[in-house]
Amino acid sequence: MPHAHLRAGWDSVRGAKIRSFWTMLGIIIGVASVITVVGIGEGIKQEIGGQIHHLGQNLITVRPAQLLNGNSAGSNSPDLIPGFSISTPLGIKDINAISHTNGVTASAPLTIVGGAVRGDHGMYRNGFVVGTTSDLPGLLNQSLQYGSFFSSDSYDMNVAVLGQNASNALFNEDVPLGRSFTFHGQQFVVEGIFNQFTTTPLSQQANFNNAIFIPNQVAESLSKNTAPTYEMLARPAAHEKASAVIARLKTALDQVHGGQSGLSVQSGNQDLTASDQILELLTRLIAGVAAISLLVGGIGIMNVMLVSVTERMHEIGIRKAIGATNRQIMSQFIIESGILSLIGGVLGILLAFFADFMLRTFSSLHPAISWQVVVLASAVSLLIGILFGTVPAIKAAYKDPIEALRSE
Amino acid sequence: MALIELQDVSKLYGFGDATTLALDEVDLTITKGEFVAVMGPSGSGKSTLMNLIGLLDRPSHGDYRLDNKAVARLKTDQAAKIRRDTIGFILQSFNFLPRLTVLENVALPLAYKGVSLSRRTKLASQMLERVGVQNREYFFPSQLSGGQAQCAAIARALVNNPKIIIADEPTGNLDSSGSRLVMELLSDIHKLGNTVLFVTHNPELTRFATRVVYMHDGTIIHDEQTALGQVAPKARKVLYTIPATSEEDDLEGVSVMMKAFPHKEAPPPKRKKATDKSTRRKKRSVSRRKKAS
Ligand SMILES: Nc1ncnc2c1ncn2[C@@H]1O[C@H](COP(=O)(O)OP(=O)(O)O)[C@@H](O)[C@H]1O
Ligand SMILES: [Mg+2]
Repeated sequence: MPHAHLRAGWDSVRGAKIRSFWTMLGIIIGVASVITVVGIGEGIKQEIGGQIHHLGQNLITVRPAQLLNGNSAGSNSPDLIPGFSISTPLGIKDINAISHTNGVTASAPLTIVGGAVRGDHGMYRNGFVVGTTSDLPGLLNQSLQYGSFFSSDSYDMNVAVLGQNASNALFNEDVPLGRSFTFHGQQFVVEGIFNQFTTTPLSQQANFNNAIFIPNQVAESLSKNTAPTYEMLARPAAHEKASAVIARLKTALDQVHGGQSGLSVQSGNQDLTASDQILELLTRLIAGVAAISLLVGGIGIMNVMLVSVTERMHEIGIRKAIGATNRQIMSQFIIESGILSLIGGVLGILLAFFADFMLRTFSSLHPAISWQVVVLASAVSLLIGILFGTVPAIKAAYKDPIEALRSE
Repeated sequence: MALIELQDVSKLYGFGDATTLALDEVDLTITKGEFVAVMGPSGSGKSTLMNLIGLLDRPSHGDYRLDNKAVARLKTDQAAKIRRDTIGFILQSFNFLPRLTVLENVALPLAYKGVSLSRRTKLASQMLERVGVQNREYFFPSQLSGGQAQCAAIARALVNNPKIIIADEPTGNLDSSGSRLVMELLSDIHKLGNTVLFVTHNPELTRFATRVVYMHDGTIIHDEQTALGQVAPKARKVLYTIPATSEEDDLEGVSVMMKAFPHKEAPPPKRKKATDKSTRRKKRSVSRRKKAS
């Protein structure tokens, strides 16, 4: 039975191509623009790094509660990373407390050490030096391209692992394993080079591809224990619940400080940084625009279907005279507008892929169209057709057959 | 056995001052196998009667039993199903959906019944063969001649194997050879045991019928049995006065016919040109307005 309606609906679509096109135009434009804009947003998101996914949900971060983005006037520690400052960094006691808390299997501090780095090309200015421990790659799920990360045995040795940009800036070789650079008057030997970082564990401004990693103990002794630790990463044991470990960490840290520690302990990267918030806002804006344009498309469909019902009164009369029930007439018209809208949606998707291609070739944008968006767009356009086709379909279904037959 | 039983059936259109009494307490019983011609001037309620019998409309008052089932107050969808299964409609013109082929049009009632595509194509094709237009299956309705179109309309009316065929002026837009073709086809169907009702203005066509019902002002003013192959006695009077050759003459003939019944006042003879369907339509609406005022 339904295929009879499908057939009837399709026949009408086929028979009135031009009108059908105008009916679909709203949906075509709506779907195409929504997919394109969502794709652009998604592309930007991917480029600046999806840290939340990569850091994983069972990574715990400990950082000062008043970690500030942007320059703060009251800050007494140096701005080692531009646009990123801190009021009260973590102390050595905090670091020890965290690593010894029950249920923490791995932990690594992120300590920033100031000072000039000198390599093959002289001073390296764009980078920064991070003191950390051997657990870091495991915690960040970050693999190395060459060599290996320093082990816990080298905790007091002058060894280093480089981010890719730092490696390129410091040395002439592609693989500078075994080469050394100067920092605070000491020689550091390169043991490994990271793959490209897709995450920014500390802040959006701190690109770890520019960083040089050395053992935390060495970092502290070089700076005579003045290098600030901005963040501590910790992983709960597999059998532990992150929330339980977080609670334990909070108590341990409060004990260290004799009351309020002023540190925030969170799982994953819950606090969105500024650019994430902008993206979030953008996504909502797009959703709003999408809703409006699809609404407009739906109203367009409803209008054209209403006109179509009026024009096809005689047809409705004939169908009723030969025994079509009201429900059958109604299904026919709903299916018809559903098909129209779905075709519009599919054309819109094709248009979006074309726009995507054009943007990739003629602009610096790299829109990312996901299959989920495509499926969703198709489903939504079908739904809109059905929804907005209902009023015209009811109008057609309840028309008096004799009156319908009388009309031309 | 009574197939159609109308009792005191009235039909009112509009309301207030604009009310038209299209049917006025009509009693009519039609048994299975009858071939009934309905005659009467324009606006006398013939179409209204056909629509009521065909369950396209409901009587305002009175009872209607179809095949011993009370059907006067059915819900629209129930009525649609009975219409689909027991009644075949043939209209004066514009019987088809213009964008479907003739075959698809003929198969449409089966689609509403839920018959599979291959089966309904087969049945529709057989039916078209029976009415003699099998070589026009894949034509569009606009590509058929008037006679062929009406034959295809008969095929569609028959495709559901209905008990009753209702044809409202099926030859109204046809020339004499087209009319002959259509009437002979209806005749064949009647001979196979179907009940056929048709409206006509042409007294000549009563020779195909077994019974002629004359209407005027919403009532049945005369009802007579006739022998097959002979023009009905009352209709013959009309025929001998003015030979019917065109539709206009048909209309005039009906007016003259009305004069043949002394107990009813005949309407003034209609002298307007009625050569095509649009003026016909206009005329009908004019007469409707006259009634309303
Ligand atoms: N939908 C309607 N609204 C108002 N009046 C109508 C309607 N249909 C028919 N009538 C009136 O009912 C009367 C009978 O009409 P109809 O059955 O079409 O006559 P016929 O078929 O014999 O020409 C006419 O006076 C006509 O004007
Ligand atoms: Mg009529």
